This record gives sequence, C-alpha cells and structure tokens, in this order.
Amino acid sequence: MSVIATPARQSTGGISARTVNRVVIYGLLALFALFYLMPLFVMLVTSFKTMDEIQNGNMLALPQAPTFEPWLKAWGETCVGLTCAGIKGYFWNSIKMVVPAVLISTLLGALNGYVLTKWRFRGHTLVFGLMLFACFIPFQSVLLPMATILGSLGRFGVTLRNATGLSFGLGNPTVNLVFVHVVYGLGFTTLFFRNYYEAFPTELVKAAQVDGASFFQIFRRIMLPNSMPIFVVTVIYQFTNIWNDFLFASAYAGTGDAMPMTVALNNVVNTSTGVVEYNVNMAAAMIAALPTLLVYVVAGRYFVRGLMAGAVKG
Amino acid sequence: MAFLEINGLRKRFGSVEILKGIDVDLEKGGFLVLVGPSGCGKSTLLNTIAGLETITEGEIRVDGRTINDLHPSKRDIAMVFQSYALYPNMTVAGNIAFGMEMRGVPAQERQKAIDKVAKVLQIGHLLQRKPSQLSGGQRQRVAMGRALVRDPKLFLFDEPLSNLDAKLRVDMRIEIKRLHATTGTTIVYVTHDQIEAMTLATKIAVMRDGEVQQFGTPAEIYNNPTNLFVADFMGSPAMNLIPATIGGNGNALSVVLQREAREPISLPLADAPSGLSAFHDKPIIFGVRPEALTDPEGAERNASNIATADCHIEVVEPAGSDTFAVTNLGGKAVVARLRADANIQPGTSTPLAFNLTKAVFFDPATENRIL
Repeated sequence: MSVIATPARQSTGGISARTVNRVVIYGLLALFALFYLMPLFVMLVTSFKTMDEIQNGNMLALPQAPTFEPWLKAWGETCVGLTCAGIKGYFWNSIKMVVPAVLISTLLGALNGYVLTKWRFRGHTLVFGLMLFACFIPFQSVLLPMATILGSLGRFGVTLRNATGLSFGLGNPTVNLVFVHVVYGLGFTTLFFRNYYEAFPTELVKAAQVDGASFFQIFRRIMLPNSMPIFVVTVIYQFTNIWNDFLFASAYAGTGDAMPMTVALNNVVNTSTGVVEYNVNMAAAMIAALPTLLVYVVAGRYFVRGLMAGAVKG
Repeated sequence: MAFLEINGLRKRFGSVEILKGIDVDLEKGGFLVLVGPSGCGKSTLLNTIAGLETITEGEIRVDGRTINDLHPSKRDIAMVFQSYALYPNMTVAGNIAFGMEMRGVPAQERQKAIDKVAKVLQIGHLLQRKPSQLSGGQRQRVAMGRALVRDPKLFLFDEPLSNLDAKLRVDMRIEIKRLHATTGTTIVYVTHDQIEAMTLATKIAVMRDGEVQQFGTPAEIYNNPTNLFVADFMGSPAMNLIPATIGGNGNALSVVLQREAREPISLPLADAPSGLSAFHDKPIIFGVRPEALTDPEGAERNASNIATADCHIEVVEPAGSDTFAVTNLGGKAVVARLRADANIQPGTSTPLAFNLTKAVFFDPATENRIL
C-alpha cells in the first residue's frame, strides 16, 4: 500500500497540508488539556505549600519547600464545623455509604437487565420505559417526597427497636443514603445492563436451561461472569455519581456523624476561623477526589472497552 | 408405538399461528430431519420439543411419556445450537460438565464422563482451553460433546452446520452420520439445507408456513413429492417443473410441451397415473428431475418408459462430474443432466431422453400431485 501511496503524496504536495492539519489538531488538543488540567495543577501545587508561600508567592509556582503538613492537617486535624478531628471520619462515612450503594444498585441493575431481556414478560417494554424515565427525573423534585419516606422509615425503625431491640438500620442516615442512591441509580444500572444483555446470545441461556440450571444459577454462572465490561462501566459510573453527590448527602445527612465527604469538604471550606488555609482546603479537596480518580485509573481501560461493547459484532 | 410422537401440535403467538397442527413420529434410533425455508416453523418445532417454547395445543411424547409441561432439563434431551452456545467463561471441560454439575454429579464421575466423551470426539487436547481459543470445527465438536455426555433419550440439533465453511460442513456431516450409526441415538435435526436432509435422515419432514408438507423417507420425498413445493424444494439442481397440457386420447395419453418457434413436443405416456385422464386438454405441471432428462446413450437402461425428443440447447454447463444442458420448454428454462463427456454444443438441436417412469404431474390450481 505504501509503495503506491508515497509517490502520489509527493506529487500533490500533500505532506505539508497533512502536517498543518496535525499541528492544528494537536495544538488545539494540547490547549484544551492545559485549560482542563490547570485547576488540578494549582490545587496540587497549593496543597504542598506553606501558608507563607501561598500569601507571598505566585499561584502557579512550584512549592519551594514541599510539605505534607497540609495533607496531614486536612486528614487529621482540620475543623469541620465545630469538631476539629480532620476529614478522615467523613472519608470513611462516604466509603461506608458508597460501597454498599454501588454494589446493590449494580447487582439489582444486572438482575433487572437479565429479566428484561432473557425472561420477557407481558409489558416488559413498558416497565423498561418507566425505569428509563426514572433516569430523567431531576434530583430536586424527589427531595421532599423522599424526605417524607425516609422519615416514615425512621419512625418504623423506632417501632421495630422498641418491639425487637433491633432497628435493622432503619432511620440510620448512612442506610438512608444507601437506600436513596440505590433507588435513584437503579434506572441507570438497569439501562446499562439491559442494553448489554440485549446483545447477549440467548442461546447461551437456552443451553443452560437444557443443562438444568435454575434462574439464579444462570444469572450467577453464565450472565455475571460474561458481564465484566458493563459491570466495570456501571461501577465506575455509580461510584463517581454517588461519591460526588452533594444534594442528597446534605439533605438527608447534612449534619451529625454520618455526614459524607462532600458535605464535610464544604464545611471545611466554609469554616471561618481567622485565616483561610488554602493549602489545607486544597489537600482536603484532593483527598475527596482521590477515590474516584483511583477507580478510573484502575478500571478505566475497561470503561472505554465497555462503552464500545456491543457496538460492533464480535 | 413410536419413540417420539408429536400429535396435533399447535403454537400461537397472540393471533399468529406459527405451527398449525404438526403430526410427526420417529422410531427409536431414527434420524428425523425437519427441513424447510426460513420462517417455516422448523426451529420453533424443535424448541417446543426441547421445552424452550411452550405449546398451545397438542402433545409431545418421548418413549411413551408425555413431556409437554416438563422443564427442559427434565425431558432427558440434549441440544446442539446453531451458534454452539458454549459458555465463554468456562473451559471446554467446564462446558461439557456444566449439566452434570447442575445435577449434582460428583466431581470424579464428571471427570470420567468428560474423558470418555473427549476420546469419542478426539478433543482431549482441548479440554483446558476456552471456547474463544477454538476453531469453528472444534467448537462444533465441543458442542456435540456437551450433548453426548448427558447420554439422553433424544438429541436435538438446531442447524448445527450452518456456521461452518463448505468443506468442514461436509466433514462434520459425515461425522454426525457416523456418530449416529455408532451410538444408535435418536436424533431430531433442523436444517434449511436439503442436501443435509437427504444425506442424514431416516425420515424427513418438509415444512412450510407451520405445516408439514410431506413426511417420509428421503427416497419417498425425492421420488414421490406430494406437491409442487416439496418437488421444488428438495433436490439440487431443482426438479424441472414445466407447464404442459395433456393430449392424446382414451388410454393413450401424452404430455404436450410448448416450444419457442417450433411445433410442440408430444411425449406418449405408457403408464400414466389414473388421475391424469381427468386433465385431458387441460394445463398441468410436468415435473422431471434433471437426471431423468439426459442424452439417449446415458439414459437408464431398464427404465420402461423413455421418450426421446429433439431439444434446442441454449446453454451448456460442464460441472466436472456431469454436464448440465439448459433448454427451453413450456416457456421455462429446463435443465438436463448429461454424461461428463457428452458431446453437446450450445445453439444446436440434440435429442434428449425423457425418463417418464420418474416423471410426476401436478395440478396447477391446487399444486398437489396428480396420482
């Protein structure tokens, strides 16, 4: 191919036009990347500076005496509202909320997708349509009704505790948030899995039925092990959304010990005790952003692959 | 009583009737092929036998036991799918053993069964591989292994060879036939390829639009098609179906074939079917297979009723083993099958021998055979 193409290119002078195109494209890309990465750079740099250096120096300058002090302070000492024990407790709060919420919503989404494609029932398109509709309901409109429901659940929890000594987590703010995120995430996770399983060969399910596998055995042994790409996509999507959620977190766990990371970060930045410690704030923000970054770095290559899956046969 | 009996089977999806009363039976150790064009309901019929589709009406019995409402796994069947349907996350051994695992067979016994099947199908060296690391033919073997290992009463094959290339298809066809001969299992096999049907079957059911058009042995289907559809569908090259009229008088009937710009050919019928006299001077469809229309030297020696007529040859197709000559009769291209070394030139007139013992006649209105 190159043998034929090379003389043709030379004769038309195509090389220079090509080069110009390349320069323009890569130049623009570099510019946008710079624009996008600049805030991250400022945050990182600032978080390693002392307060003196921040007040007297250039925002873009590299730290002259890099220090981990702001990171340690953000993690263990900084004040969130009135308590000054750092953000570590809230970090674990978020983990405790995110992990179950992601796992439950993903598994339920997979189960929904499995039923909606391989065990079709009358009106399955309507059910799927309604679940899809749930993806487009704005957060704000469910705030109050959800608050009412959570309130009722909380009162039911109290009744349960009085009767049996156990509340089964009802009324616990973390459990409430898990519940809210699972319900709200179900539309998306179902959408992801349904579309993936739509292209999943039904003959495999039939073969497993002939082999004597039950509904859940087929799900666990055939569907789930072959769903890795979409599983990763859904986990990344759900993890990022739930970890970064501020509205539900502040509405249903905005005060007290169960406060998630996002709300705590907001409180760190808003706490006004004399000088604003930019370095500590930046470090806290970086800590808050790390898990989502980490999830993307670890599973990112599956993310791209997963989004492409089903686009081309084979 | 037959081993597999299907009585009055109907299947409706809403108001659409997919299977319109199927009656088929098969003896133990038989090989039933369901053949027909796509959309004729043959795969649906197979799925109802497997229990993957429910039935609306009728009865399916295997070895005297009604299995209509049983779960697929309780029917004592095994199925080979068109796409092989190998579980991509399991090894070949895992695939073969999955059914046994689901039925709680202990690991040692499973291993023994795997080894036995692997030996029969010569896939021992593939056992630890994943399906994605296998070629098409190997996948096909593994899929058959998964079915064989269950040692079921009934094997179901859903177009198992249609994903293979032409050469491999012939090899696997022979392999399936050998497998059937050595294991003596009862098989129901779906295909749209009439050659597969002819070569493999002990019984063929030709289907169209959810109805069995004809059910019989391959020879019956080939030599005595009950209607135009079966005659046209079975055989390659297809049977010549020529519009004609019945001439002659009384008990000496003849077939009259129109020709372009020449006087019609009249072929005297020595032992015409009795129903044909009612069609005197009326249009019929005259069916003659290419091998029953040949050069006079190549004609069957012991056929009782051969008529020879000059035909204008339009095209000659040498196919190596035979030479096909195309002429025009009754306004249709008609294929004759000659010896490979037949000396024949396009554009000339040559005498062709019609083996009228093998000829069949159809009523153009009902499309049914005239007997």
